[in-house]
This record gives sequence, structure tokens and C-alpha cells, in this order.
Amino acid sequence: MKTDDLIAALASDTLPRQTVTQRLWRALPIAIGVSVAGFVVLRGVRPDLTQAIASAAVLKTLLPLIAAILAAGIALALVHPDQRPTGRMLGLGGFGAILALVFVSMSGAAGGETLLSALFVPSLFTCLATIPMLAVPILAATLWALSAGAPLQPTRAGAVAGLAVGGLAAAIYSFYCDQDAVLFYLPAYGLAILLVAGLGALAGRRFLRW
Amino acid sequence: MRAANLGDAAAYRQLLREIAPLLRSVVRARGAALGPETCEDVLQEVLLAVHLKRQSWREDAPLRPWLYAIARHKVVDAFRARGQRIDVSIDDFAETLPAAPGEDPTIARDMEKVLGALDPRAAEIVRAFGQHGETTAETAIRLQMSEGAVRVALHRALRTIAKLRERMME
Repeated sequence: MKTDDLIAALASDTLPRQTVTQRLWRALPIAIGVSVAGFVVLRGVRPDLTQAIASAAVLKTLLPLIAAILAAGIALALVHPDQRPTGRMLGLGGFGAILALVFVSMSGAAGGETLLSALFVPSLFTCLATIPMLAVPILAATLWALSAGAPLQPTRAGAVAGLAVGGLAAAIYSFYCDQDAVLFYLPAYGLAILLVAGLGALAGRRFLRW
Repeated sequence: MRAANLGDAAAYRQLLREIAPLLRSVVRARGAALGPETCEDVLQEVLLAVHLKRQSWREDAPLRPWLYAIARHKVVDAFRARGQRIDVSIDDFAETLPAAPGEDPTIARDMEKVLGALDPRAAEIVRAFGQHGETTAETAIRLQMSEGAVRVALHRALRTIAKLRERMME
């Protein structure tokens, strides 16, 4: 086939294409609805939610949400090949580094035993299982939307999308979780979110290629 | 491109025609050693990618950086894949072979293979638009389909072609 013939065929294909943002608006509300419904049925909100939100424990919801918003902006830029989100990536990296520093200094001050007893509670496994579970429908919708874009690095785009979705899932989960110790939620939520990011990287390598 | 995204086929065709030589020189600069036919194969892949990913260009941004980013990605991909295939360059035999009798240098080979692998009706539709220059209405009457169905079939066929080409290279 001649190149000019191919061009003629391409130009004849005038079906409107949806942008990534349009797809996100279509798919995300449904996916988040599914996750929240699953969350309400399987876990439910903690009984003392109003008091918890008024206390420092609200950070359990806010910190993952901030990470999610930062990562979502980067993921969107990564599927638009003419954008370079270097500055925003540094921002997200800085945010993660600050949280890691806080965790290290706090666990250092508290001592190893306090950390172990705060972290290794039965809730740890609930947390590590529930957050990725809540994330799966949202991740699927997000990757579907992102596949309308053109990521130059599919694995990286998938990983950052996973970070965003993991953050959102952690924020939802925080309404159930009654472990308010910083030494619990920083490492436990962090690990759960990184699990989702890993999942996103694997899925991205497979589904975001073009 | 803005007009193209609004469905203006003529403007879009004009645009693709204008960027094709530009992209061809990008491809040839990168893969001169692979011969003009392979370069044309790669160029067609780049054009397919431009077409299928055109909504990832934001209308308020300049077109050129986007275009080059798409082209670079596809060209690197294509040459990496072709590097793995054992491709004996025809140049080695150039002195013993008679010159090809005036072959059109813009004919690419891979597309024929892919069209052969496509279901016959889909391939027919792509050829109808590409080689015979039919309009949607003409194709619809000839194949007894609705115009909407022809549009959808063409779109699906182009997407399948892009996927098949990717698989072909693995």
C-alpha cells in the first residue's frame, strides 16, 4: 500500500476520539462508586468517625489524598507526549521524602519495640488487603482512560497512576481504619499504596503500550 | 489538526500530506541503513500512531513538539524491533542485482501483509478508501452497509492494523 493511500484511508476515519479527560469523567465516577459500595458492604465506616475527623487522625485521609492529587497530575502529563512533568515529579518525590523522614525520626524517637507493637496489629493485614482491593476497580477505569493517551514510558505512567489510585483507595479506607497511631498508618498505608503502584506499573507495561 | 479533530476530512488529509515528508526525513535520518522500503514501513507506522493518538494533542499547544514526540517514540520502537529481526540488507547484493525497474519508493511492504491478515471485509474497506478513493456513501452502497457501519468498520480496521503491526514485530 502506498503511503498516500494510507493517508487517504486515515483521513476518511473521522469518528470522534475521546480524550483522556473525557474518558476519566465517564469511567471514574462509576469505578469509585463500585469501590465505595464494596467498602460500605465489606467494611463500613468506623463508629467514631466524627470525632476522628476532628482530631489529628484526619491526616490519615488528607495525606493519601494529597499524594493522590500530586500523582494524578503527573500521570495525566505522562500520557501527553509533549509535556514534561519534571517539576511536579520533584514535588511528589519531596512529599514522599518528608513523610519518610517523619516516619524515620518518629520511630527512632519511639524505639524499635514501640514501632513493632504499633505496626504489627491484626489491622495491618486488613489494611494491606483492603486498600489494593478498593483500588482495583478504580485502577482499571484509570488505565482504560489513560490508554487513550500516548505515554512514552508505559510502565512509569502505570506506576504513577497506581500511586494516585492507591492514595485515593487509602483515603477511602481511612474512614474504616481505627488505628490512629502515626507509626501504624505511615508505614502501613505507604506500603499498601506502593503495592497498588506496583500493580499499576505491571498493568501499564501491558495495557498502555501503543 | 484542530479541523481534523472536528471531523474535517479534507483538512486532515491535507495536514497528513504535509507532515508525511517531514516525518519521512526523520525516519530516514534514523534508519538510512535499512533501506527506503523499510523506512516507508516505519513511516506508515508513525502515521498510524499520529492518527490513533491524535486526541492526546491538546488544542492549545503547538503541534510540532507533539508530532516529534510521537514520531521519535514510534521510530525508536520500530527500529529496535527490526534490529532483532535478521534483515539482510539488499545493499550487499546491489552490484549483482539489476536495478529495480522504476519502483515507486512510497510503496511499503508490511502494510500488504497486515491487510492480508485482516478479515477480508475490513481490508476491503481500508482499500476502498485508500486506493480507490471511495467516499463513505459509495462504500456503503457497494458493501450494502449503513454509512455509520462503514465508519465504525474503518475505524476498527485501522486500530486492528496498528495492533497487528505491533505484534508482527515481536
